Amino acid sequence: MNKNELFHIANNWFESQSWKPFPFQKQVWTAFLQGKNGLLNAPTGSGKTYALWIPIVLDYIKSNPDYKSQPKKGVLAIWVTPLRALSVEIKNSAERFVEEIGVPLTVGIRTGDTSQKERAAQNRSLPNLLITTPESLQLILASKAYDKKLSSLVSVVTDEWHELLGSKRGVQMELALSRIKSIAPKLRIWGISATIGNLDQAREVLLGPGSNAYKNSVLIKAKINKKITVKSIIPKKMEIFPWRGHLGLHLLEEVIPIINNSKTTLLFTNTRSQCEIWFQKILEKHPELAGEMAMHHGSINKETRIWVENAIRDATLKAVVCTSSLDLGVDFAPVETIIQIGGPKGVARFLQRAGRSGHQPGKESVIYFLPTHAMELIEASALQKAVESQKVEDRIPYLNSYDVLVQYLTTLAVSDGFYPEEIYEEVITTFCYQTLTSDQFGWILNFITLGSQSLHAYDEFQKVEIEVDGRFKINNKGVAMRHRLQIGTIVSDAVLTVKFLKGGYIGSIEEWFISKLKPGDVFTFAGRNLELFRVKNMLVLVKKSKQRSSIVPSWMGGRMSLSSEMSQLLREELYAVAELLNNSIESNLYRPDLLTKISTKTLSRELRSLLPVFKRQVKESMVPAHNQFLIETFKTREGYHNVFYPFEGRFVHEAMGSLLAYRISLLTPITFSIAFNDYGFELLSDQQLDMQQVLDNDLLSPQFLKSDLEKSLNATEMARRKFRDIAVIAGLVFTGYPNKLIKSKHLQSSSQLLFSVFKDYEPENLLLQQAYTETFEHQLEEGRLQIALDRISSQTIVWKACNKPTPFSFPIITDRLREKLSSEKLADRIKRMLSNLEKR
Amino acid sequence: MEITIGDTLFTLHPSGAVYWKDQNMLLIADVHLGKISHFRKFGSAIPQKAINTNFERLNKLVSYFNPDKICFLGDLFHSTLNNEWGLFEVWVKNQSSAIILIKGNHDIISPEKFSELGIQMERELLLNQFLLTHHPEIREGVFNISGHIHPGIKVRGVGRQSLSVPCFHKQLNQLTLPAFGAFTGKFLITPKIGDAIYATAADEVIKI
Repeated sequence: MNKNELFHIANNWFESQSWKPFPFQKQVWTAFLQGKNGLLNAPTGSGKTYALWIPIVLDYIKSNPDYKSQPKKGVLAIWVTPLRALSVEIKNSAERFVEEIGVPLTVGIRTGDTSQKERAAQNRSLPNLLITTPESLQLILASKAYDKKLSSLVSVVTDEWHELLGSKRGVQMELALSRIKSIAPKLRIWGISATIGNLDQAREVLLGPGSNAYKNSVLIKAKINKKITVKSIIPKKMEIFPWRGHLGLHLLEEVIPIINNSKTTLLFTNTRSQCEIWFQKILEKHPELAGEMAMHHGSINKETRIWVENAIRDATLKAVVCTSSLDLGVDFAPVETIIQIGGPKGVARFLQRAGRSGHQPGKESVIYFLPTHAMELIEASALQKAVESQKVEDRIPYLNSYDVLVQYLTTLAVSDGFYPEEIYEEVITTFCYQTLTSDQFGWILNFITLGSQSLHAYDEFQKVEIEVDGRFKINNKGVAMRHRLQIGTIVSDAVLTVKFLKGGYIGSIEEWFISKLKPGDVFTFAGRNLELFRVKNMLVLVKKSKQRSSIVPSWMGGRMSLSSEMSQLLREELYAVAELLNNSIESNLYRPDLLTKISTKTLSRELRSLLPVFKRQVKESMVPAHNQFLIETFKTREGYHNVFYPFEGRFVHEAMGSLLAYRISLLTPITFSIAFNDYGFELLSDQQLDMQQVLDNDLLSPQFLKSDLEKSLNATEMARRKFRDIAVIAGLVFTGYPNKLIKSKHLQSSSQLLFSVFKDYEPENLLLQQAYTETFEHQLEEGRLQIALDRISSQTIVWKACNKPTPFSFPIITDRLREKLSSEKLADRIKRMLSNLEKR
Repeated sequence: MEITIGDTLFTLHPSGAVYWKDQNMLLIADVHLGKISHFRKFGSAIPQKAINTNFERLNKLVSYFNPDKICFLGDLFHSTLNNEWGLFEVWVKNQSSAIILIKGNHDIISPEKFSELGIQMERELLLNQFLLTHHPEIREGVFNISGHIHPGIKVRGVGRQSLSVPCFHKQLNQLTLPAFGAFTGKFLITPKIGDAIYATAADEVIKI
């Protein structure tokens, strides 16, 4: 059959559905049938499944003309999706097409939820289309004779590639593809991605830089324009606005009419605890919404989440309070309105959420922005600009993730074993490991075979064995089983299952939260008030409680940082305000009362509403203009506050805070605690800081950044925290058997402890070094820090010694999560802390 | 640092050990020997160099106090027999002091192996109104010295600073020792009124 005849099948089917294929769909069909690889840039709900599934089927028809009488066995295509929740939707779409055109192809799902029985059946024979997750794909590589099973593959499609790209799950995909390329000669690799800043790089990472696959590839963009309207909810009275409310509950009543006027509304919150509280409070104030409102976040049990998703699709819910758990995935046509509670911190995330509404063609998406504290209105103003410019963030791929490589090599050793020379050649074709030297590869081989770099007498290390013919293989069943249970790169806190005393699963909760509660304490979880009965093994047993006040669990990891695009936009908004105010002050230097008469026409609605805040800021301190960098100092009962305002996002501030604290500590023995938010950072000390000395010594200089940052890090705990994930991924920590009450005996250890041992005894360990590299590149965003310091060095530093906290400083100095840095001796610090305690 | 309990003098050493002068005896809790080897045997590549640290620390301590008796308050070995036992055997043979082991929950190695080395193994030991055990316990008329808990204390200061260090925890009739071993964690305790906390900070012991 030629191309036209094949297209005819597809077009006929589209016609029978009374649809018309989009141009981008046809482009993908053509490219695929020409044997090309590629990346498709298309949003959710645009028909991307049919863009790729149809040419796979057409190609099958072409190469198997007698497909009806002799259906082929073996897997034809693997569809990788980051979210299990999406797999059913993809399966339904795929089956619909092949059933209606009468091609007998089987479609199956394999994820962590797949039953043992089904998995066993799949192990005998894989379905023609297998829908799976990156982790389950690795598990296939850990099974015997995987190379024979996968040799029939024609395509691997990676859906939502933008989600995987900036994570270690992306690295897992790169490695899996490097292996499959060698065993499936007819392979075509495709990815599907939403709009990100670095689409070209996304394609390069997926296919391998400079590879033949990359040379023979295309980037196809679906051009679907959509109008987005942003409406900020502005409090009627600015004075009653909490400086740092973080929840935005004072604006709850504003939300109710929006919910009532729309078919279905999604309320996006930034953290799970915020989600719980909002859900509770709305029901408390508006019991009439009970039954029409639901909650959706990652810790709620799967059945409930699926029920909520289906209810949204069936338009039986008025409102759903959710977190990023609903960012991705299935298309919810009935959703008319989106409310974003708190700053979304990134342009791409905001646009994606906005796109969740108004899916009918030609309809505009409406998104309401509800600020949780005054400063966030500046963000809202910046978001208006962001929507116009559509300048979205990059997703930065990982480089040299040794932990994932350790896991991958162990995976291959579990199945049929591997020969290092062959695998090394494959590994260095990936983007992640393109600079991996044979020495580093050798280090990793030693690590998994000897557990160190040299052989010691009497050592009992046991993992991968080297067989006589040079094959690396795991023969110990216990080691193999423990490894299979640990495959994956998403590391979560130890979680406990929450169950009712009488039975009934409610969800899972982080261990550290439960450990703070005593039996009898009441906490809010999954929208219910629960009384802790007891914790037994890995189970939290609870009863329903009628008590109204309760503790809401706060989950770690909910804190996001402003992207560089957002912070740039935010600064521009502020500069506009500064220009206006400063001009007015200069012309009315002796008449501050005239400040009230400023013309604010040039400002956005959001900024105008913030004018009382800005005026107060000017009274106590100032609003910095584009050529100024503001530092404020003042004293409170808590100590001496030194606040700096780079407006670069919390991650950059975290780094800059540690850096500056370190440089100051070189001048004099002093201990700081460091707090930061998206607007600035604070160094708080019990001693007064000589700020003039700081300025005279040019301590904000971008020079010697890397080496100073490295030293300042030693005193902080950032790398230690990064090491936790690395230790789990590389198999240094065994997290236990799933749902087994017996913990792995005598193998429990905290990664904190491991970090200390490695730091003291094996500082050259590649995994330990990786913890530092990741801290620099992903957490501290060293590149952004450099740019920020360069900018500051071109600005005039304005130091304001204030009498009391300023409006800008308030959200920072009340932050409870802190880093610390000290140049004092441990014993001296304890002694001084004690002497201060005694004085009180 | 020296403390007196009743009228008996004890020295609290920054390593976490206690020296009992009258008895010329060293008390050491929770060494967890063999823990690193146990992890390595199960495929977790903990640095081997850390194994020697425990023995180096023990040697330093013994040459400093030169005691007649060394009493381990339980959890001397982390798990089942492994090659670290060989190193332990060598260490024991080089000691001139008598060695006593109070059995802890981790001590699952056969008592015969210990008695072969001339180590006296006990459930508990009562000496002059002092009861030495692994698990802390309250018994009338005696003062209990124990391990097991791995106590640690978090100290807070002005400027919202905090740090946590291993500590000795003294209650009305009890003293709990910090864990001695190099590869052991700590459990943060909340002291009650009347308790005394002695924090170990590098080469000093500080009363809090």
